[in-house]
Amino acid sequence: MNPRLLIAAAVLVVLGLGAAVQTYLALENQAYHPPVRSTQVETNVPREQALQDIREAQVTKDKAKKYEPPAYRTVPVIGSRVAIWVVAQLHLMFAAFVLAVPMFAMIIEIIGYFNGDPRYNKLAYEFAKLLSTSFSFTASFGGFLTFLLIILYPAFTNYMMEIFSWTFLPYVLLFFAEAGFLYSYYYGWGKFHPLVHIFLGLGLNVIGTLIMFVADSWASFMMTPGGVSDAGALIDPWAAFDNFTWMPINIHRFIGNIAFGGSIAAAYAAWKFLGAKTDEERAHYDWMGYMGNFVAVGAFLPLPFAGYYLAREIYGYNQALGIMMMGGAFSWLFIIQAVLIGNLFLAANYYLWLGMGRVQGVQYYQRYVKYLLAAIGICFAVWATPRSILASVSEIKAMGGTLHPALGVLGVMSAKNTAVNILILSTYISFLFYRRTGKRPTVSWAGIGNVVQFLIFFGTTAFVIALGVYGYFVDAATRIGLSIPQVTSVLICMVAMTIVDAFLLRGAEETGETHWGKLPNISQYVLIFIAVTFTWLMGLMGYVRSGLRQHWHVYGVMRDQSLDAFTPTLGFATQVISVIVIIFFTFIAFVFWLSSLHDKPDWGDGRYNPHHGDDHGAGH
Amino acid sequence: MKMPVSLNVVLLVVGSSLFYTYVGQLVPQKQLLPPAEVAIAADLTTDQMVKVGFEVVQQKGLCLTCHTIGKAGSLRFPDLAGIGDRAKTRKPGMDDIHYLAESLYHPDAYIVPGFNGGMPTINKPPIGLTDKEILTVIAWLQSLGGTPSVTMATKLPDQTGS
Repeated sequence: MNPRLLIAAAVLVVLGLGAAVQTYLALENQAYHPPVRSTQVETNVPREQALQDIREAQVTKDKAKKYEPPAYRTVPVIGSRVAIWVVAQLHLMFAAFVLAVPMFAMIIEIIGYFNGDPRYNKLAYEFAKLLSTSFSFTASFGGFLTFLLIILYPAFTNYMMEIFSWTFLPYVLLFFAEAGFLYSYYYGWGKFHPLVHIFLGLGLNVIGTLIMFVADSWASFMMTPGGVSDAGALIDPWAAFDNFTWMPINIHRFIGNIAFGGSIAAAYAAWKFLGAKTDEERAHYDWMGYMGNFVAVGAFLPLPFAGYYLAREIYGYNQALGIMMMGGAFSWLFIIQAVLIGNLFLAANYYLWLGMGRVQGVQYYQRYVKYLLAAIGICFAVWATPRSILASVSEIKAMGGTLHPALGVLGVMSAKNTAVNILILSTYISFLFYRRTGKRPTVSWAGIGNVVQFLIFFGTTAFVIALGVYGYFVDAATRIGLSIPQVTSVLICMVAMTIVDAFLLRGAEETGETHWGKLPNISQYVLIFIAVTFTWLMGLMGYVRSGLRQHWHVYGVMRDQSLDAFTPTLGFATQVISVIVIIFFTFIAFVFWLSSLHDKPDWGDGRYNPHHGDDHGAGH
Repeated sequence: MKMPVSLNVVLLVVGSSLFYTYVGQLVPQKQLLPPAEVAIAADLTTDQMVKVGFEVVQQKGLCLTCHTIGKAGSLRFPDLAGIGDRAKTRKPGMDDIHYLAESLYHPDAYIVPGFNGGMPTINKPPIGLTDKEILTVIAWLQSLGGTPSVTMATKLPDQTGS
């Protein structure tokens, strides 16, 4: 017989036997087996009866089940914390944008009303066009966040409701008022007397700020709870609302929102500039980008001071919390922050220097740019110098510790505070140069005015550096206090120089014309880069404010008992932040696209436009 | 070939985010776990208390987040080197154990000259050390320049029985 046939037959026999065994086992599994709960094997029970017994036993068991509210539920793959983190941060970003844009839209509208220049009104409207979709996204993400909190953290959400339920109804009413003001402000543009319209803008801003104040009380309570007993019982509702960091966070967010909103609006203008078809469009969007960036940088300069105030209050509430932030696990986060802020300063200055190119006769001030760049570069490097260096064992031995013998001196707050103050002053000087480009003072005291400005600047710089050096030789309590005169002197310097400059340039001779739109495209990418960096910075600082609580939902009051109670690495946090930033820009691109539909021609012959054939045109 | 503006913008947004993510990977990566609850036996010897106390100081107590051991110069918080000896005479009429206990249960009762107050109360949340843990911390503090004399049976005025 053919051996191949023999092998094939053997295989067939084996397969046949296997099939027979499988069939037997399958039949056997369908036979009645007594319920697991039974300890005795019941025999001679019909199959249907047995199944009925099982069902009834399950029903009895279900009815006897006690209600135990779950403390947590989980999201597959990414986990509950990351889900909440992403949605909360996206909600905050859109909320910040929606709160900020009406502020500078209204201010620009007011300027336009008083100076009679219609360009300002158009610019304010252009900003306001971004609002309605963003408002919807803010509300959608807010609703999403609320549902996620209820689903994923029911016990914590319940506790927060115990403390803050009395704020919810006013919050909802404020939201209705916000919607009323926002839509009447936007749709009522040009339909009312300008002062009535400005009043609508004012109402929108006041209500928006109040909404933020209410929401800030919830977030700040989680970090620095007040008005509750050691066990968390509510004692004083107002003390819970007006907790230790409530007002510092209000101020910090108020200023930060303006900076963030300005940068996003500037990015919108940059995007429109890059796609502009005519010189007129380019000129308009160049101006819009400049104004947006001016708002962003203008608000950004005092932001570190608001940050100091917030940090001081965190220290005041609990030293361990403050130390954890600046000297403990989160200290390296501030090195990342230094890179971000350093980039912001560099980019903002670079944009201003590029902007000088719009004006004829720029050479006089451009020769100082290299000195400003050097000052900014040095300050950036000092600020980004870590206190302790990552090193191998042999390197640590050689250094005598983790402090670098030379660079370690620059890694302390005395050096960093000094660096950030000089950074702010340098950026201010860049702006001053830009402002003065193409102008020559004609007042009789112009020479003295220039000397006074120089002395104010030079004196402040020397004072700030002297205090920084002095900080190395005094005790801790004195050193911490030195940041106050440093900050105050810089603020006074900027205000004083601006006042002198305003009088100095009264009736100044125009030595060169400003050509809006005559700017290289790279300047617009710089604006977009600034917006991305601002957004990323906002994500990072949102993380530290929230992450600082570590394994507490409400610091010192309600402990996090979930799987996510640990604090992740900074590397992981930065990955999540980047995902958030990219999602945010995807949504904001949609907002930009929707806003630009206004300018698009009608589809086909326009017959589907509801205003088609109207005598008074297509409206907005 | 000229790249479309939208592609440039996407590359800029993603590229910038990736750059900052990369910066985030360069710094030390440390995951912080919630402090583990450790039961402390009531019959520890004083020597054992010193060892346990050091663990509490490093972990649940978070003491070394602020305090240093053996550092000189312009410090933000009192250095702990030699505290076992200094505690004996820091407050007239108060022995070292009671002084150290007071500095843990009521940190603002006495503030070392040149420093600011504000140290958290150690037996309250968020740190929330138990009475037993505080006894071990006192033993460890006494060992820094002194001889530990506290025992697990030592009674202190503010103990709550935890």
